[in-house]
Amino acid sequence: MGDFTSLDPCVHCGFCLPACPTYLATRDEADSPRGRIVLMRALERGDLSADDPALRQHLDACLGCRGCEPACPSGVGYGRGLEEARRRIAASVGLRPLARLTLGVFGRSVAWRTAFGAGRWIRDLGLAKLLAGSGRARLGFGMLAATAPGRVRQPTLAPEAGTGPTVALFRGCVMDTLFGHVHDATRRTLAVNGYRVIEVPGQGCCGALHDHAGDQEGAARLGRANLAAIGETTDFIVVNSAGCGALLKDYGHLLGTEAARRFAGRVRDVTELLADRGPVTGGSLPLDVAYDAPCHLQHAQQVQRQPLAVLGAIPGLRVHQLPGSDRCCGSAGIYSLVEPAMSRMVLDDKIEAIRSLTPRPDFIATGNPGCLMQIGAGLMAAGLATRVAHPVELLDWSYAAGGRYR
Amino acid sequence: MTTSPTPALTADLLGALSRLVGSRWVRHRPAELATYAADGLPTHESRPGLVVLPGSRSEVAAVLSLLAERHVPFVPRGAGTGLSGGALAGGDAVLLTLTRLNRILRIDPASRRAVVEPGVINAHLSQAVARFGLQYVPDPSSQTACTIGGNVAENAGGPHCLKYGVTTNHITALEVILPDGSTATLGSPQGEPWGPDLVGLFLGSEGMFGVAVEITVRLEPTPRDIRTLFAEFTQLRAASSAVSAIIASGIVPAALEMMDQSCLEAVEASIYATGARTDAAAVLLVELDGAPEAVAAEAAVVEPLLRANGARSVTVATSEPDRARLWLGRKKAFGALGRLAPDLAVQDAVVPRSALPDLLDQIAAVRDRLGIRISNVFHAGDGNLHPCISFDRRDPRQAAAVVTANREIMEACLAAGGSITGEHGVGSDKREYMPRAFQPAALDLMCEVRRVFDPDGRANPGKVFPANVCREWRRGDRQ
Repeated sequence: MGDFTSLDPCVHCGFCLPACPTYLATRDEADSPRGRIVLMRALERGDLSADDPALRQHLDACLGCRGCEPACPSGVGYGRGLEEARRRIAASVGLRPLARLTLGVFGRSVAWRTAFGAGRWIRDLGLAKLLAGSGRARLGFGMLAATAPGRVRQPTLAPEAGTGPTVALFRGCVMDTLFGHVHDATRRTLAVNGYRVIEVPGQGCCGALHDHAGDQEGAARLGRANLAAIGETTDFIVVNSAGCGALLKDYGHLLGTEAARRFAGRVRDVTELLADRGPVTGGSLPLDVAYDAPCHLQHAQQVQRQPLAVLGAIPGLRVHQLPGSDRCCGSAGIYSLVEPAMSRMVLDDKIEAIRSLTPRPDFIATGNPGCLMQIGAGLMAAGLATRVAHPVELLDWSYAAGGRYR
Repeated sequence: MTTSPTPALTADLLGALSRLVGSRWVRHRPAELATYAADGLPTHESRPGLVVLPGSRSEVAAVLSLLAERHVPFVPRGAGTGLSGGALAGGDAVLLTLTRLNRILRIDPASRRAVVEPGVINAHLSQAVARFGLQYVPDPSSQTACTIGGNVAENAGGPHCLKYGVTTNHITALEVILPDGSTATLGSPQGEPWGPDLVGLFLGSEGMFGVAVEITVRLEPTPRDIRTLFAEFTQLRAASSAVSAIIASGIVPAALEMMDQSCLEAVEASIYATGARTDAAAVLLVELDGAPEAVAAEAAVVEPLLRANGARSVTVATSEPDRARLWLGRKKAFGALGRLAPDLAVQDAVVPRSALPDLLDQIAAVRDRLGIRISNVFHAGDGNLHPCISFDRRDPRQAAAVVTANREIMEACLAAGGSITGEHGVGSDKREYMPRAFQPAALDLMCEVRRVFDPDGRANPGKVFPANVCREWRRGDRQ
């Protein structure tokens, strides 16, 4: 299927090292992009086998954030190389049991609906918040608690849809079950900006988690189902989860068909559609906010200024620069579950950066469920009062305050 | 040149080192060792016997004592961005990686000093002192990744060393752990020059004298005004004569850099594009800094000089983003050259500035005769050349041509009265040229100095001096 030619431009200069969150955490070149490229090359040549425990340890420890790509002067396609390495490892020795189990859940809608439904129930009873804290299990409860809406939702209605472009909302799995309030905010804010949002039944998980783990088969199966469900009727397909959006935009590569390439060409992050229309200004929201860029938005999708344009449409909002906001938070799909120690080291750097901000922000805005949960849990574990919110939630509150809703 | 791990390093040593630094900080599996087999110069490879990553200076001292007790050779390493194959260890040696010692210990804005551990990244130091209106001047192109400890070992340079001097001019004191595990303080924080200049001796010793664990650096005020001129030339010789004309005018620019067409093509194709037209034969980057009036007066001299010597266009950047864009293009050039071929051999040599135009012609002749691509990106102001050879090591013909080209370029530089390295060090790569650059008596003296610090010859063995040069090696005491 694939090969490692995307790694050919690497001249071993090492400029990628300090762009890598795991290298910064350990300062060990085996945990650096350059070191991992050496491992991938050894795998390609057959010098190291796919079941070599050290090779697996250091390739598994890669977040897949692709923070190294923009630091690379010669344009090495690190992400493509990693994808191929993980595919070969999964094909020859299989996934690790915990990863296999987790991906099995995401692969069946009955399974994830049941699991996340139970999670939502625990969250809504207030148990998650009560049990949130440090330590592996309590961090997990923190993640669940962090999925709660940042504000109690007002019963509002979007304006009547106009004659603007039609948009199919990609619902996903985690977003659909735990972040329904972000979907509501997406629908309302898009409507204010003139888009006609259309609900499409029969979608499932995007397959990104499978794809990152090397299970391209599983990802392709889910991709084909989404392609069939969403079809070609709308102008755009809107996604409010950076990780899902990155894979949906890559369906052409994953599925290799003309229909998939056309589909991928219609996919937009919600902030792209909003920024195209301004977006429309809302009412005053006097809050301190810092933006943290999801890796799969800034690197994989190259969507960088649009989320800031969304925050810029909110009068009264004070947007602060978070040092290292372009660096991964350690969530990275199922990474926080299967690589808890490294994930925690990377998260600690992020929380430390937030702790040292003055004034301390009320919200960290970020457009990906994994980042929202990871950073939210980290903040609770650190005892900080800062909370997390999706940029469109903030815009939604601003529209509510500005009387944009009926 | 790959060496495989030898049984010289026993499981017993692995256990002893693990007890000193913790088992997760001793790397011993083949896959992990492979990630440390090269630095920034891909023409040399050598797998270390073990990799140790100590977390504190006391751990460094303990590790070195243990290695001394057991007569095990070691090689210090920073971020592995060096370009001379200097931070490579053989299978019988321990690679001592110092990147975890990455704290800035003190910043003293009043006396313009900072004390740092060796693993601090060069650019991070300047970022940390910027709020005091200060900077750490030596700025090798790898500054976003390389460490201050590595800069000390190689006596690193950088574009701004034309006016401000290389690393040795910016270090006032060192705490070093000697190869036997003992500690010594060299120099004094304020840098008063009394006694033998041991700091000067240690700077550029390429890991053969021990490990600097605390480095006191001189900080300089950020210039009040900076202006960067970017000139495009249609003739390479014209660019060289412009360089000579600027220096002859008595002005010392903060930096005076040249990129030739081949290099420019790679840079302009990268995300660090400067916006130059790639049909230019060469571009010059001239930076002027200082008081605003002085910068304006110098610019009024330099710009006409550039045009009089044939510049077809001169752009002047004064804003920080514009300057940053021009400099990124220059500083990321080595990496950008990765676009041309899978492998890149970056060379380093110095010639008298007056010899630059002829040398560039000779390099072009080597290129044409061997049929390989050579790009030039270098510090023109001080005659420090960096011919970069693009090749594919999987093709034996190309790999052989690289060896020939390197040798011919080095010989041309020496014949022109130059030296074999300006700032990258000798390492593994330039050892064989040492006897051509120095008399036997001078080489013997260097070996003697080395023995003062490292009587057993265990610190970075096999580097800098060719086999058979140092007396103890001639006697066959080791190797």
